[in-house]
Amino acid sequence: MASTYAAARRPRAAGRWRRHAWSYAFLIPGILLFGGFSLWPLIASWWYAFFDWDGVGAPTDWVGLDNFREVLGSSDFWDAFWHSFLFSFAALVIELPLALVLAILLNNAWLRGRNVYRLALFLPVVTTTAIVGIVFAVLLDPIRGVVNTALSDLGLIDSSINFLGDTTTALPTLIGIDIWKGFGITLIYWLAALQTIPKDIHEAALIDGANSRQSLRYVVLPMLVPLAIVILLLVFQRSLNTFDLVQATTQGGPNYATDVVPTYIYRFAFDPFLQAPRYGFACAAGAVFGLMTLLIALLQGPLLRGRYKAGAL
Amino acid sequence: MSRTRRTLRWAAAVTAVALTATGCNLVGSGEDDSGNDDASGENVTITVALVPDPPGASEFYRAQFDQFEEENPGITVEVVENPSDQQLGAVELMFQQGDPPDVFRAQADGFDRMYERGWVHSLEEFVTDEFIERFPEGTMNPSTSGLHRGGELYTLPLVSGKWDVRVLVYNEAVLRENGYDGPPETWGEMEEMARTITANGGGQVFGYAPASGKAVAVEMLAQTAAPYSVVQDGIDFRTGQPATASPGMVEAVELHRRMQADGVMVPGWESWDGARAFTEFAAGTMAMYPTAPWHIAEIRKLNPEIEMGIAPLPVPDDGRGAYTPTKQSFQPIWSMSSETEHPEEAWKVMDFLASEDFHRAYYEQFGSFTALESAWADQARENPDQAAILSAAEETMRVVPNPMLLSEGGAEILRARAQRPELKHTDAAVDAIINNKPFLPIAQGLDQQLQAFLDETLAELSGTATSDDITFPDWDPLENYTPEQ
Repeated sequence: MASTYAAARRPRAAGRWRRHAWSYAFLIPGILLFGGFSLWPLIASWWYAFFDWDGVGAPTDWVGLDNFREVLGSSDFWDAFWHSFLFSFAALVIELPLALVLAILLNNAWLRGRNVYRLALFLPVVTTTAIVGIVFAVLLDPIRGVVNTALSDLGLIDSSINFLGDTTTALPTLIGIDIWKGFGITLIYWLAALQTIPKDIHEAALIDGANSRQSLRYVVLPMLVPLAIVILLLVFQRSLNTFDLVQATTQGGPNYATDVVPTYIYRFAFDPFLQAPRYGFACAAGAVFGLMTLLIALLQGPLLRGRYKAGAL
Repeated sequence: MSRTRRTLRWAAAVTAVALTATGCNLVGSGEDDSGNDDASGENVTITVALVPDPPGASEFYRAQFDQFEEENPGITVEVVENPSDQQLGAVELMFQQGDPPDVFRAQADGFDRMYERGWVHSLEEFVTDEFIERFPEGTMNPSTSGLHRGGELYTLPLVSGKWDVRVLVYNEAVLRENGYDGPPETWGEMEEMARTITANGGGQVFGYAPASGKAVAVEMLAQTAAPYSVVQDGIDFRTGQPATASPGMVEAVELHRRMQADGVMVPGWESWDGARAFTEFAAGTMAMYPTAPWHIAEIRKLNPEIEMGIAPLPVPDDGRGAYTPTKQSFQPIWSMSSETEHPEEAWKVMDFLASEDFHRAYYEQFGSFTALESAWADQARENPDQAAILSAAEETMRVVPNPMLLSEGGAEILRARAQRPELKHTDAAVDAIINNKPFLPIAQGLDQQLQAFLDETLAELSGTATSDDITFPDWDPLENYTPEQ
C-alpha cells in the first residue's frame, strides 16, 4: 500500500521539481555567497578554535578543548560577557518599551510634524559610531564638557562627573549612548509593526464602545505580540554585539570596566601588545559567545510565545 | 509557461551562476595590473607597507618617494598604509595571500615575529662599508645593534637609540604661578607640587596625569627606581628571579594611587588614548607629566607659545636606583621581504630610507632624532627643546644587558614571557590605582605566578635555555653594561 502510494507521488514530485528547477538555479548564486561568506567562516572559526594558532599558515598545533577550557575558566571573559549582557538587558527594559510608547504616539495621524520627529529620532542610527564616540567624549569631558558644565551651573553637582573615566560610571554611560544610538531603529521596527494592524479592527473597537486606552490595551498590544517577539530578539542581538561604540570611546577601559565580549575577542586576535595574535583562542571565545547568544535567543522565543498563549502578554 | 520564457529564465540563471563562479569580475580584466613590467625592462614597482605615523607622515613619505622616483627612473614606489595597531596583522595577511610588500615597517617585537617566520631578507649582500659608516661609531656592532640576527643584518632603523629616552615635560608658567621656579627632582617633590597645583587650579588646571589609560607613567618612573627588567618583564636580571614586589616598583604604583585617591590627577585620564596627554598639556590643563620625547613636537605644534620645560624624570626620594635602558643601538623598522622578486630595487628604496637626506628631512619634519646623527646633531643643539632631550638622554640612559640579543635561550624565555601579558604589572597597577587597592600584595601574587611560569618554561626549554640566560649577577643598574660582564 505504502509503495503504491510512493510510486503515485514520485511522478508528481519529479514534475514539481522540473517545473521549479529554474527557481533553484536562481538560488545557486545566493547559496554560494552565503556558503562562502557566512557558513564557511562560521565553520572555520569553530575548527580553528581547536588549535593554538597565530593566524599564519595552516593551523597545525591541535590543542583539543584547551582553548574552550581557558575561555570558560577566564574571569575576564565572564566579566566581558556580563557587560555585554547588561547592554542587551538595558536595551530590553529601557529602549524597547520607550520606543513602543513613542511609536504609538508617532503613529497617530493627528500628530503634526510626526515625520520630522521620526527623522530626528532616526538620525543617530545613521551617524557613524566613531563620530558618536568622539562627540560624546567631548560632551562628557569632566573638565570642559557641556554636560558637566550644565549640571554644575544648575547646582546639581559639586564636582565634575568622570563619565567615561570612572569604573562605576563608564559602563552605564556607554549603555546610555548605545540606547540613544539604537533607539531610532527600534522605533522604526515598532512603527512598522503598528502599521500592520488593520485600521478596521481599531475602528470596530471604537464603534463597540472601547476608548483609546482600552483599544490599545485589548486590540493593538495583543496584535503586536508576534512581531514584538521578533523585535525583542533583534534588539537583544544588536545590543549583545556592541563593539564599535566601546572601541571608539573607552577601548574596554578604564581597567576593563567596559570590556565586552567583542572587544575581548578583538584584543586576543589583534592586540599589538601581545607578542603574537591568539586566533585559536579568540575563535574559541567567539564560538562560546555565539553559542550562548544562540541559546538565549532560542530560549526567549518559546518562553515569550508560551506567555503569549497563556495570556500573560 | 512558453518555451521561450523558460529558455530565457534558464539562460539568466546560468549567467548568474557563471558570474558568481568567476568572482563577478565585471570591472577588471582579471590580469595582473600591478604595473610591474620588469620583464620588458621598463619599470619595477616596489611596494612599501608603512604606518602613517606621526600625523602628517602620509604626505611626507609620498613626497620623499616622489623624489626617490625622480632620482631612480624605472622604479615606482607604491605605498600601502596601515594604522599602527594594525600594521603587523595587515602585513601578515599580505604574506598569507601571496602578495607581500617588498619593503615593510615592523617595529621591535613585530620584527622578530616576521623574522621567526622567515619573511625577512638578509641585507648582508647589499651592505657596504660606506653604508655602515653612515651610522654613529660602534652602533652597528652585530651583538648590540638590535638590527642583526644570527650575526647578519636584517633590518634598518629610523630613529636613534637616544629617542628611547623618557622625560618630564612641565608648564613653566603654571609652576611659576604656584610658586615653583623649577621642575621636581624627586617623586616626593613631584607629588607635593602636583597636589598644590591641583588644589589651586579650581578644577581647570591639574598637577599631573599618568599619560594614558594604561598609566604608562608608572613604568617610566619605575625605571628610575628598579632595574628595567623588573619594570618590563617582572624579572630582576641580576638574580633571574621575579621582583615585581621590589620597593621601587611598588612605590611607583603607590605614588599614583595616592594622587588618584586624592583627586590630584586630571580626571578622565583613565580612558585616554596615547594622544590625549599632549593635547591636554598643550591646552594648559595639566602642569607636568612623564612622556616619550615625540610628544614635545606635537605640543609645540598645538601650542607654539606654551612655556614648556623639559627635564630628566624625577627619581625616588632615597635616590636613583636605575636608568632608562639602552637595550640596543636601534629599534628595527625597515625590512625587506624574503619573497620580493626585486631585491636590488627594494634595497635601493631601503638605502634611500637610510640616507642622510631622508633622515634629515624626517628630522626637520617631525623633530625626531633619526638614526643618522650627522643628519640632525648640529641643528638639535641649537633647538632648546631638542637640546634638552639630548641632554636628558645623555644623563639618564645606560646600556643594559639584553637577553634577547645575548643568547637564544634568553630570547626564548622572554618570548614566552611576552605571550603571558597578564604576568606584567600593567593591568594590575591600573587596577590598584583606579580602585585604590594596595599594590604590594598584588605584586607578590604576580611574583608567585611569574615564579611558576619560569619553573614551567625552564622545564619546557630544558636543554635550550637555563636561568643563567636571564641572570647577570655582575650587572650594576647604575652603570653601563658591557657584554663581557
